[in-house]
Amino acid sequence: MKKLLIHIAIIAALFFLFDRALGYGLGILYSQSNATDEYKISYSNETTRDPILFFGSSRCLHHFVPSIFEKELGKDCYNTADWGIKNIYYHYGLLGNILTRYTPQTIIFEIHPCDWLQTPFSGIERANSLAPYCGKSEACDEMLKLSGNYWKYQLSWTYRYTGSLPNLLTGKLGSMDRSLKGWKPMDGILDTTGIKAEEYPFPVDQERVHLLERFIKDCQSHGIQLIMVESPMYVCSQQDVFRFVHELTQKHQIPFLDHYRDSDFVGHAEYFFDFGHLNRQGAERYSKKIASELKEIID
Amino acid sequence: MVVNSLAFLWFFLVVLVVYYLLAPKKVLQNFFLLVCSYWFYAQVDLKMTGLLALLTLIFWGIGHGIRIAIEQEKEQLASRLTTLSVVIGIGALFYFKYLNFFIGSFVAAADLIGLHLSWTASHIIVPIGLSFFTFKLMSYPLDIYHGKINHERNIFNFVNFIAFFPTILSGPIDRPKPFLKQLAQSRLFNPDNLMTGFRRVLWGMFMKMCIADRLDLYISAVWNNFEHHSAVSILFASLLYPFQMYADFSGYSEMAIGVSLMLGFKVAENFKRPFFTINIAQYWSRWHMSLTSWLTDYVFMPLNIKLRDWGTNGTIAAIMLNMTFIGMWHGADWTFFLFGIYHGLWYIPLMVSGQFFKKTKIQLNSYGLPTAPFAWRMAGNYLIVTFGLMLFHSTNINEFWAVLCRIPEAWNGGLFFDMPTLVNGAICSLALIYVDFQEEYFSKKKIYLPAWTERWRWELTVTVEILAILLFGIFDNNQFIYFQF
Repeated sequence: MKKLLIHIAIIAALFFLFDRALGYGLGILYSQSNATDEYKISYSNETTRDPILFFGSSRCLHHFVPSIFEKELGKDCYNTADWGIKNIYYHYGLLGNILTRYTPQTIIFEIHPCDWLQTPFSGIERANSLAPYCGKSEACDEMLKLSGNYWKYQLSWTYRYTGSLPNLLTGKLGSMDRSLKGWKPMDGILDTTGIKAEEYPFPVDQERVHLLERFIKDCQSHGIQLIMVESPMYVCSQQDVFRFVHELTQKHQIPFLDHYRDSDFVGHAEYFFDFGHLNRQGAERYSKKIASELKEIID
Repeated sequence: MVVNSLAFLWFFLVVLVVYYLLAPKKVLQNFFLLVCSYWFYAQVDLKMTGLLALLTLIFWGIGHGIRIAIEQEKEQLASRLTTLSVVIGIGALFYFKYLNFFIGSFVAAADLIGLHLSWTASHIIVPIGLSFFTFKLMSYPLDIYHGKINHERNIFNFVNFIAFFPTILSGPIDRPKPFLKQLAQSRLFNPDNLMTGFRRVLWGMFMKMCIADRLDLYISAVWNNFEHHSAVSILFASLLYPFQMYADFSGYSEMAIGVSLMLGFKVAENFKRPFFTINIAQYWSRWHMSLTSWLTDYVFMPLNIKLRDWGTNGTIAAIMLNMTFIGMWHGADWTFFLFGIYHGLWYIPLMVSGQFFKKTKIQLNSYGLPTAPFAWRMAGNYLIVTFGLMLFHSTNINEFWAVLCRIPEAWNGGLFFDMPTLVNGAICSLALIYVDFQEEYFSKKKIYLPAWTERWRWELTVTVEILAILLFGIFDNNQFIYFQF
């Protein structure tokens, strides 16, 4: 028995040592990576100090061109959005991590139905993208606890990077151009054959609504001007999808720029890469349009 | 609750501590093990726990009857009871697994000749692990009848043998004699067993979580959408599938064997590097060994003896039937039937050329590796296995045919390359290939490492394995391919 306990103690010590060393090394590779996920998540969590930040998922990542907003608004901007149908669980943790470093002046939040509906394809597991930042802020830890992985990430630093070794090793060769300040343009024109509107036949998720409310309140309590936006789709849903957002923003007295059914873009295949994402030309045109609207609102 | 889940880890830790606290009182240990096994099975399949208990009691009763008949020299009665046990075992399998399939096939065949029969498939839930525990059950009366074992008077020991929780869901299919013998002894706390068992569990987890589940991401992405993929991608995914199957099932077997060893039991081995073989007979002697040896003993040998008057043709017929059983054991569909027939057909050239009866030794070159002709034959055998497993992977014959038809149509496209999945999978697969190579060809050669690593070898290996699982593993896929059987 004594022999076994010694073996277990040695393994525990070796594991702690190697796991911390490996996790630390992977963390360095992570923060230096130019691959989309790694760069966007690490830069947003660790580095950006710009006064205007864009929050959202892939639609925000591809639609908002920071250089256009900087020119129009005269302030530095950074697009923190990441693809992979990120939702409020991720955004709330990210906001918490950013607030440990500085307080941005304005957050422009491209909201998505995944932020308040019980969508089966995007749930609490999206918070796991914040694994490298476990322990950084209360909000981040709360999201990781909800996902059920907080203690696993605390126990093992290596586990925070599970499955990402190839991406980290080739990270320097990643496709993100850091000079674009978080924007990822898409080149190409939508093939319109067989395109249908995306419907959202899912119930409202009270947990997500509660988090959205807390996101809003945290911004307000830190003096951050929060503006919600919705960018256009090639084909629009039959449902009144964004009624919820109109009610929410009215309740909290925050602006909501709803371009979901914007006729300048809807049905114009030349502006789209696919049915939900604007291409480079569309993103630049949309950014110019919304920047002039934001100029009227931003303090 | 599966072996590579956190729930199982907590369950097993509690079991292990209490189990060894009860040593050396073997009666208490066995009783505790029985309770744990039934609790485990109830967690997985509560509704069928009663059926498991009922079948176990029936087979123990039949075993008892056979013993009495043999003691009283009533040969005919013993034979009838043995036949009854086989009928009950096959009957249970038939009812739960094959009834819908056979009736459905009959109705479809009748439809072809213009007889339109009305039939709705019955909603029959197949008990988890049915194919594994019925085979264990059937071997008991057969072994008593053939004088290989004595009837186990202690019913708790027999119940333990059938329901032993590390192996009940997916094997290995243990035989009564070695297992009951171990149950008759008390299992004392043995650090060496714990350490060796734990390493096998970790290695199994590595195979399952880092290789099988990684490759599954790619294979499923291609196979489930084959109509949108190129021929190159379909062929590549098909070539990866045998390796995924090996990592999945062999990984599970390693975990089951490791857990058993930690409890002081040596259970049957299931895999022995099956891809280092040059023909299908060699392959099946190293793949799912506990099933093939069971069928060899209880199906092939008796059939071969019955058909010996037919000479080589009799042996071919016995092999074809045996391989059909192997195919159908996996499931109730024509794909499994054809899978068995396909493998059986590959035995015919071996039979005709006389290679089946010879033990072909693989020639090695001066580096200790197979010579080129043998290496090519291994590659050829892998291709044969791959084609068979394409049938196995297909949900039905139509899908299999559609995939085959897609291949010549889609030569223009390139390879679907999912970099993170394939690179993660490749790194871990190379580790498995290296270990298998080492064991197959260089097992007698000792790898010299610095003295300090020799001293800490177990600890270092365990640490590296845990870190590899954490770094490369997939933690949200807790399903094993062989659970469905």
